[in-house]
Amino acid sequence: MRLKRSFLFALLALAILAALPMFLSGNLLNAAIKMMIAALFALAFTLAMGQAGMLSFGHAAYYGLGAFAALHLMRAAEQQLFFFPTPLIPLGGALAGFVFGLIFGWFATQRSGVYFSMVTLALAELLFTIAPTLSTIFGDESGISTIRGASWGFTFGPDIEVYYLTLIWVAICAFLMWAFTRTPLGRLALALRENEHRVRFLGFNTHVARTLIFAISCLFTGVAGALVAIANEAANYTIFAAQGSANVVLQTFIGGAGTFFGPALGAAVMTFFARVTSDLTRSWLLYQGLIFVLVMLFAPTGLGGLVEMHARKLRSGAWRHLAGPYVLCAVAALLLIAGVVFTVESIHVVLTDAYTAARRSAGGAWVPYKLFGFSFHPMVPTTWAIPVLSLAAGAALLPIARRITMAAWKRATEAGGDDAVAPGAPGPTARNEGATA
Amino acid sequence: MEYVVVSLLNGVVHGLLLFMVSAGLTLIFGMMGVLNFAHAWFYMLGAYVGFTCTRLGGFWIGLLLAPVIAGLFGVFVERFMLRRVHKYGHAHELLLTFGLAFIIEEVIKLFYGDALVSYQMPDYMRFAAFTIFETNYPFYRLFMGAVALAMFAILYLLLTRTRIGIIVRAATYRPSTVEGLGHNLPLIFMGVFAGGTAMAGLAGAVAGAFYPTGPNMAVDFGTLVFVVVVVGGLGSVLGALIASLMIGVFISFAVGIQLSLADLLGLVGLGEWARGVGGLLTLKLQTIANSMPFLLMLLILLIRPAGLMGDRQ
Amino acid sequence: MNASATMSAEPVLELRGLRKSFGETQIIRGVDLIVRRGERHALIGPNGAGKSTLFNLISGHYVPTSGDILLNGQPIGGMAPHLINRRGLSRSFQITNVFPRLSVAENLRISIMGKRGHRFTVFRAVSGLKDVNDEVDAYIEKLRLQKRRNDMAGDLAYSEQRILEMGMSLATDPTVLILDEPTAGMSREETTYIVDVIRQVTEGRTLLVVEHDMSVVFTLCDRVSVLVYGEVIATGDPASVRANKKVQEAYLGEEVH
Repeated sequence: MRLKRSFLFALLALAILAALPMFLSGNLLNAAIKMMIAALFALAFTLAMGQAGMLSFGHAAYYGLGAFAALHLMRAAEQQLFFFPTPLIPLGGALAGFVFGLIFGWFATQRSGVYFSMVTLALAELLFTIAPTLSTIFGDESGISTIRGASWGFTFGPDIEVYYLTLIWVAICAFLMWAFTRTPLGRLALALRENEHRVRFLGFNTHVARTLIFAISCLFTGVAGALVAIANEAANYTIFAAQGSANVVLQTFIGGAGTFFGPALGAAVMTFFARVTSDLTRSWLLYQGLIFVLVMLFAPTGLGGLVEMHARKLRSGAWRHLAGPYVLCAVAALLLIAGVVFTVESIHVVLTDAYTAARRSAGGAWVPYKLFGFSFHPMVPTTWAIPVLSLAAGAALLPIARRITMAAWKRATEAGGDDAVAPGAPGPTARNEGATA
Repeated sequence: MEYVVVSLLNGVVHGLLLFMVSAGLTLIFGMMGVLNFAHAWFYMLGAYVGFTCTRLGGFWIGLLLAPVIAGLFGVFVERFMLRRVHKYGHAHELLLTFGLAFIIEEVIKLFYGDALVSYQMPDYMRFAAFTIFETNYPFYRLFMGAVALAMFAILYLLLTRTRIGIIVRAATYRPSTVEGLGHNLPLIFMGVFAGGTAMAGLAGAVAGAFYPTGPNMAVDFGTLVFVVVVVGGLGSVLGALIASLMIGVFISFAVGIQLSLADLLGLVGLGEWARGVGGLLTLKLQTIANSMPFLLMLLILLIRPAGLMGDRQ
Repeated sequence: MNASATMSAEPVLELRGLRKSFGETQIIRGVDLIVRRGERHALIGPNGAGKSTLFNLISGHYVPTSGDILLNGQPIGGMAPHLINRRGLSRSFQITNVFPRLSVAENLRISIMGKRGHRFTVFRAVSGLKDVNDEVDAYIEKLRLQKRRNDMAGDLAYSEQRILEMGMSLATDPTVLILDEPTAGMSREETTYIVDVIRQVTEGRTLLVVEHDMSVVFTLCDRVSVLVYGEVIATGDPASVRANKKVQEAYLGEEVH
């Protein structure tokens, strides 16, 4: 029954995604493509991390290798060396990811915990530093660029065709990864995360098992890389940079590595967030870091964990108890966010060269600055009052809201007869023993 | 000969700087099991504090304030962040510090911008200490080396000669036993974390005035610091010192050497073949100097994961 | 009264002059021991005698300094644990060593999967492996854990976790099963329950067990070996070992009931 419901949800999501391009403009369509690819990347990363407890700090390596494999296939078609149908190019990425996953993984999985993370980091950094010198494979600093060839009656020129190609691949891969969790090797992955030592004494070669699982994770990562190469028609060596490996870690844990769909959700949300905020503010990475740290501190199971927790509650009709307290929480959160954003953006504006120039022309006096379409004067108490008051009010309201929410949650639990897990206090499922040496 | 001596000197000084940052990281890991991903960002914080103080008051105030501010921030991080998530395991703590690194870097960028800042040593320190083979050797390099050595001496005496040092060392091996003996373990953890971050802050303030101070300094330095602690053996201060010197000297030599694998193969008569193959075989050591530390770290991790001086995995 | 019908004089596990040193300290000082096919053999000895080290040597956790370990006449000393397991020797652990966040059935399935050749299978769903799932159910019944089938192993009572842990070792179908203090830290009733289950599920198998509780040793085992300071000082049926002078000296101050 649970299975059936998950299946219905997946179908619904697929239907929405299939219908989405009708409502999206060009720019948003491109954003949607990137969101789906990020979701696939995060799911693939989680296959190694969430299930087998292998925290890789170098997954950008397999993503990049998948991308370059795809670019070479595209370029071969472009230069008419041989024909490879564009829709099947992600297979090339998959192969590249899998092969390098096997090779690199064989080394990395000899270690566990922090040491495993360090090996993956070192391997990716090695690739990142060597790639620009291997110009025949990875191009020079500017990388490789090519164009999507027409095949199977599609030109693959317009974004909409790329969108559906991406959607189909992401859906297939997501299904395969879900199916993987139900295979013997998928189950073994869970056991490895829990207690590798014990698995060894049950007659398993854990090194082989971990290498295979890692390589399968890299296989799907390679597909994601190939898809991004198809979408961008170019890539250079910076695709291997630590930034890429870091991003997938951030997105996965914001989404929650403990649930299957959580990482995909986190990646899609954060990619969208990056897309929107990077146009609006130069401090978007700061906000992303803040979100990550807050999630780690207060919602260790991530967005996925929260959704799952509430899905149970909503079914038992507990929303009646919770709606009120949640509005209160939202108000407190909004006040705090307003205070932080106002402060950060004000500092940002006041420290720009433009503002310094404006001050200079005013003879060094403080002049008003523009923010969110309003004008503020830095030396007027009302300007300072905005962040101070909203931060103070938010900080004062938060503990109250928290207490009321806890109480409401308890009532809802008693009413629903469900297992008692309060928000912000997850059960043992939140433990990530993966990286303990 | 000139090249060898100068490279050696530069390498040793660079190595000592690496050590100042990695000593704290390795101590924290050894004791708390937490690999503090943000450690190099405390180094960066120190450099920017030094820069700000030099602007406002003076260079020496910066040297004094940088470790204090970095250490106090370390206390905050340990007390209100790490301790909160301790129950979710070490991976969670690692991830938290990972996010923290982002925040520190972005906040610094918010205030100081994306470009390098001009953090300079005072003019009276800008002179040649001595001349070797017609090269004027800057006094400031010696000064950096001296600060690092002094710190090592203090740390060594603190760890071996004082009661606190003995407790700290004991806690590196058996934290629960130390707690059972009636010592306040959380306080010791906080102290070590603060001490480690303060050392990184001091290193930043000292080195920032010589090397470029900018938003990338933590990433660049941070990866090297990881290499050092892994190679030296996570938890071993002596190992960190040896590995720092090794890597410092190695990098300092590698950037000036034009050798490639093909040249080496040439010694056994395979040079032509190797040049024909091209690719990796014809890369000059100079151009892949940046990759070498990672190669070293990989080798160590695969051959002797406990590191040079570590005694466990 | 305890002699199983299947017991024979044929050695299935044999230790010859086995030694293990850690640095300067020799923990195992030349152990010779024969475990016969089908018998339940107890290994007893005072604290620090080296029982756990001996177990770790046999199961492949440590590499012997010198000497041989023969399983069915084949040397296994120093082999990787998973290979030793595949040759038919399985161990359970003194500390509970289950997969805490997997269900009881899932815990057993992992060990049965491996034995039935589904170590790295990726093209079939576990739900479709009928032979594996049937055996899981059979084991759950044998271990008397029916009510706990879908509970997380970490949520079981201590004694149930120990039973599950032993069941996992047993489910790999070993020729020789070695148990490390199966009743340590248990109440009287729990001990009775666990001994009862052990007797039932190990019927027809060879068992080597480290045990402190002498009443368990006497009700469960056919033969007893006494390990003192890294040497076996006596081997024989329980009654004769109890009467042995050297054994009584070794246990000076500790009562042998």
